[in-house]
Parts: sequence; C-alpha cells; structure tokens
Amino acid sequence: MGKTRSYKAQKVVDLMKAKTKSRQIMLSLESCVKCGQCIDQCHYVLANPDDPTFAPPYKADKLRKFFKAHEDWTGKVIPWWVGARSIYTDEELEELKDVVFGKCTGCRRCSLVCPMGVDMATFNGMARNLLYSVGIMPEGVWAVAKDQWEIGNQMGVLKEDYLDTLEWMEEELQSKHNDPSIKIPIDKKGADIMYTINPREAKYDPRSIADAAEIFHFAGADWCMPSEGWDMTNFGLFVGDPSLGAAASSRLYTAAQELGVNKVVISECGHGYRSTKCEGPNWAKMDLDFPMESSVITMLDYIKQGKIKVDKSKNSEKVTYHDSCNFARSCGMTEEPREVLSLVCSDIQEMYPNRQWNYCCTGGGGAMSMSEYAPMRLKSAKIKAEQLRATGAKIVVTSCHNCVDGLTDLIKHYNLDMKVTQLVNLVANALVVPASKMPKVMKEVSMPLAGKKILVIDDEPDVRIFLTKIFKENGCEVFEAPDANQGMRIIRDKNPDLVSLDMILPHKTGEKLYWELRKDEKYKKLPVVIVSGYTKIDDPKIDFDAFLEDKGIPAPQGFVEKPIHPDVLIETISGVLLEKV
Amino acid sequence: MSIAAFTKPVETKVGSTKVKLLREDLTALKVDAFVYYARENLDIGTGYGTAIQMRGGLEVKKELEKIGSIRMGECVITTAGMMNCEHIIHVCGPKFLEPDIEKKLRTCMENVLKTAKKNGLKTLALPPMGTGFYGVPLPVCVSVMIDTITQHIRGGTTLEEIIICVVDKRDFNAFKEKVANL
Repeated sequence: MGKTRSYKAQKVVDLMKAKTKSRQIMLSLESCVKCGQCIDQCHYVLANPDDPTFAPPYKADKLRKFFKAHEDWTGKVIPWWVGARSIYTDEELEELKDVVFGKCTGCRRCSLVCPMGVDMATFNGMARNLLYSVGIMPEGVWAVAKDQWEIGNQMGVLKEDYLDTLEWMEEELQSKHNDPSIKIPIDKKGADIMYTINPREAKYDPRSIADAAEIFHFAGADWCMPSEGWDMTNFGLFVGDPSLGAAASSRLYTAAQELGVNKVVISECGHGYRSTKCEGPNWAKMDLDFPMESSVITMLDYIKQGKIKVDKSKNSEKVTYHDSCNFARSCGMTEEPREVLSLVCSDIQEMYPNRQWNYCCTGGGGAMSMSEYAPMRLKSAKIKAEQLRATGAKIVVTSCHNCVDGLTDLIKHYNLDMKVTQLVNLVANALVVPASKMPKVMKEVSMPLAGKKILVIDDEPDVRIFLTKIFKENGCEVFEAPDANQGMRIIRDKNPDLVSLDMILPHKTGEKLYWELRKDEKYKKLPVVIVSGYTKIDDPKIDFDAFLEDKGIPAPQGFVEKPIHPDVLIETISGVLLEKV
Repeated sequence: MSIAAFTKPVETKVGSTKVKLLREDLTALKVDAFVYYARENLDIGTGYGTAIQMRGGLEVKKELEKIGSIRMGECVITTAGMMNCEHIIHVCGPKFLEPDIEKKLRTCMENVLKTAKKNGLKTLALPPMGTGFYGVPLPVCVSVMIDTITQHIRGGTTLEEIIICVVDKRDFNAFKEKVANL
C-alpha cells in the first residue's frame, strides 16, 4: 500500500505536473552533476562552512528529488540512483519552505560558475511558487504580497499618504530653493517622463523622492509621477508568481499608457528594475510603446549632456559601491552607476569582489520581510560585513532599495562605521544650481532689502509674527503696531522705509490712516503696501479705488492678498523699494 | 484627477437595483458597507486590512476580537470606525486551491447578500472575491458573483446599489461585459 499524501502535498504534486516549465527550469532540474563549483560562491555557505544544508546543490535537490519522482524517467526507472523522492506531508512542505525562502536570496552568484547552466534563482522561484500557491509561506511574505495585490503597492501605502508625501517633498524643495516653481507634478497627461518608485521611498525615505525631483527640475525635464501604478517593485519575482508579476507590472504600464508619457524612469531598485524593465512585459503580456530606463541612466545622461552641473567636491567622504544582484548580475548594470559615481564623488574605493561577482546584501529575494529568518540572515551577512569593512569607506552606495535595508541592518549588527546611500542622493547633493535658475528674489532683492526698515500694522498677532519673520529673514529691521494710532507713532519715531498696512483695524481703519499719510507733506511719499484679507467678492480695491478717487489721492505702491505667500510678499515689497531707490 | 478616472464605470440595472462596476479604492467608498474577505480567525491582516486599520482606527479590530472567529462561508457585520462607509461585512472565503472553491464562494456571496438585506443596507461594495492573493480563479469569481447578485436582487432586496469595485484593468475587463449585459 502506497503512502497517503496530504491535500496540500497532492496539490503541489499536481501543480508541479501542470506547471509550464521553461527550458531554463527544465535544464536546472535535470542537469546538476554535483561538481560542487557553486558551493563556495554562496554567502550562506561561506558564513556557515560546517552546515552542508546551505550548499546550493543540497537546496536544489530538495525540489529536484521531488521532480525526479514525478516528472523524470530516471526517477521512475532508477529512483534509488537519482535520489527520487516525493513529498507526502505538510511538515515536509514546511521544511521545503525553510529552504527556499530562508536559505536562498536568489542572488544567482552560484549560477555564474555552474558549468551546466543551472539557474538557482529561477529554480528556487518555482519552488516558492508551488508553496505560495497552497498558502505555505513566511507570514511577512503573506503580508507584503497581499498589500501589493489589494492596495497596489507592497508596503500598503495608502493613496492619500503617498500624495501627501509628494506634496510635502514639493514644499520642502520650494522652501530649500526659495522657488515656488519647483513642482512634483502628478498625473500630468502627455509628460515626457513618468517617474516610478519603490514604496519604501514614500514610507521611509521621502528624501530620495525630493532628490529625484530636484534633479528633474534643474534638468528642465517634463516629468510627472502617477497617482496609481507608481510602485515599480514586484513581489511576483520573489514568490515566483507570474500572476502577481503580471498584475503589478500591468498597473504601472497601464498608468504610463493612460497618461500618454514618452518614457518610464525607474528609480534605483534592483528587483524593481528587473521586474519592470525585463520580466514585466512577459508577465503582463502587453505590447508597450514606451521605453523604460533606470534613473541611473537618466542621471548620467543629464550630467553628460550638461543638463545638470555637478560638483564632486561636495561629496568628499570616501565611498564604495555595492552592486545589487538584480541590477548588476541579472541586468548587467555595472558600469553606468560607477560612471555616475565618478562624476559626483571625489574619493572612491572599489569593493572586492565587485560587479557580477559581488556578494549579496543578504536582504535580497524578499528576505527583509521574513523576520523568522533574520538571525540566520545576519549570521550569514558576516562575509558581506568583512567585504564592506575592508574598503575603509564611510559611505556605501547602492542602486537598490532592498540593498539599502539589507546593508543598513548588517552594518548595525556588525558595528561598522558606515552609512548607506544611493546615487540619487549623491547627485542631488552635488548639484550646482546655475545662476539662471536661481530664484529672482534671491538674485535681485535679497541685498537691497537688507537694512530696510519696515513697519507692520496689523491687528492679528499671528499675522504680525508671520510678516515680521519673513521680513527679518530678508534682512529687514521690523517694527510692529496692532492699530493705526500706534502705527502712526512709530512712523514718526522710526521713520520706516515702507509700511505694510492691513485694511481692517480697530478704532481707525487702514483706509483712513492711508489718507492721513497722503495728506501729510512729510509722509505723502512714504511707500505703503496694503496687505489685505478680503476675498474677491468684496475686493477692497474696488471700494478702495472709489475712496482714493473720492479723496483725490494716489493708489498705494502695492497690494498683497491674504493668505500671504512669502514669495509674492517679498517680490512686491522689493519691487516697491527698488523702484524707490 | 486620478488615473482611475480614465476608466469609465459600467452601470446597469437589475429590477430597481443599480449594479455598478468601478475601478476605485474599495475602502474609501461612501457606502453603507463594503465586503472584506476575511480569515477564519478574523485577524485583519494586510491588503484591504491595512486600509481598514489605517483609515478606520482600532474600533473594527476590537469588535472582531470580541467576535473571535467565523467558519468558512460565514460572515459578520461590524461598524467601520472612522472610514467613509458605515459597516464592514467580513466573510470567510476559500483560499489557496482548497477544495470546492466555487461552492464555498457561492455560499459566501449568498451570506453576504443576506446579511446586507437583514441589516437593511442600501449600498454595498464588493471586491473581486478571493481573486489575487488568495488565488480564486478570476472566471470563477466573476461567474459566482454575477449569478448570486442577480439571484439575490430577483428574490427581493433592500439594496439600491451594488458596486463591484476593482483595483486594476485586469479585473475591470473580466467583469465589464458581464455587468453590462445583466
């Protein structure tokens, strides 16, 4: 009597039989000759030399034995020779889970040396998918995959939070450059570029979004970010699930098509780049009429074409570059990031081994979401920690968000004196803002306003504080008055260069004070800017015009509407004072 | 304007009840209730569960903890905390290639619609039940949802509007013709 098989184990057997197996998977299942060349390529093996269960052939055989038992003729004829063995229990499926999720990050370093062409990552991905299909996976994988299916991004960032973050970063940039023209455009139909990000950026690292926006702005790019389909990561790659792969990538492609953009730019993320640019079109089965490129290429082009100027002396600390497995080994992006690095950093130390031979950050393949394997991951990160330490660098640069997290975790664990950053951060830091793009206010007005005496007459304390702060930031000496009478006293005592005058004041209106000033020979030319909170419905200028006409006095030198925009205020005040000068 | 605005909703009427296919954010809709595809232990988890916790606060979780658990096909109705909707109907549906998916899904749908009627709801929104993460095949889901919704309306309902709310075009296209031809 044969062994009985659990329901899930039977489903896995059925799936294995039914699964379309690509040439690469078949080759990987059939052709290992146990030569052992792959063994010392794996960071898990190097960090755990006494444990043979980390060896790639051992891990691969967990699935290979099962395949041979059901699919391969050798398993039927000479099962004892080829080690064919089926799976029967849920416990065996759990054991397989610990191997395929917990002991391999799919970094593909072992595949580089395999004389038979076994592709461990694709092979492992298939095994993960068999388990995932019957609901056997680490809880963290469950959480992330479900978020990506249902919320549309793998970190469950809600739409309102994503949009708020973009708005926040836009404001930060405007404030940094004192330039309200800097925008993070959203859903701009017909834009040249649609920029897509890793949700980690929106959730934990919005600075990277701001840095990219800064680069796009100063390069004069016509760009936007989509309100949906903005997540370029794809957990379908990590769980070997082509249906999730298709759903996630098609959402991004659909956004690009609906916005009618010319190009999709993918921010620095190894698996995101591979999923979106390389695997996604096959998963989604979509004909795409737009190119896709890594932001590394975009930044490099901007620098080479002179669209942005950079000063490498601004990044003077010693840096080293970590090649992401998916970006470098799987997609061949090894030289472009180094070229960018050489243009924006002055002290670069190469890491050894590097490029396609680099070691995994140890957080790849979704490992950062599998907390149950964290101790094993960090123990196995020893080899990476030694590699980092040997560079003597203070900063490790990587073009992958997964690697940022993996490296940050191991740096903390091994007490390395390093921090992790990305090229986008370094390029933004090295930016030289050209004089032609300096805000007008900064160029022309900041000096003329220095030392000017300004009187703020407003009955609202908050408004006085706000205006005083703005004027002081521009080098002015400021006096405050809560009403017209106190304002008049200060005018006589301090002789200000300009009066910022509210219209609605207690006791005596701003209108009346203005009339008194214009009647007075000494103050009839004192510049006055009306700072008013009237709406358009009862625009003071309409009544005020009638008042001016009635009294036969000239109009004030300027008007600024509340709510006050600091740039508009300073431009108006500067215009008035410059004209006077 | 959001990108979803590029997808024109599909609307039809069965009796006096409007059936609508919408590409929108399920958990942000202003409806009497939306349906959440729950686990047996009623642990909210992620996905739409993330949105329930982030937008709704702790209230829903506390209510579910008091209820404890439900069995396959059963559903419970809770309030929706600070969300735009009034209630959430939590239903335990089939997952990950388990046996009798179609039959179980049909039971789920019937119970959800009965619960809506029992509570006098007028507007109800549903996701494509069990597709995506839980792996219910999309054609099975479309067939069961359309069948049960039609039968429920014909048997008499309090519902004035039933919304099938999807995340992307893949799901939208799967339902489009069926909803239009109801």
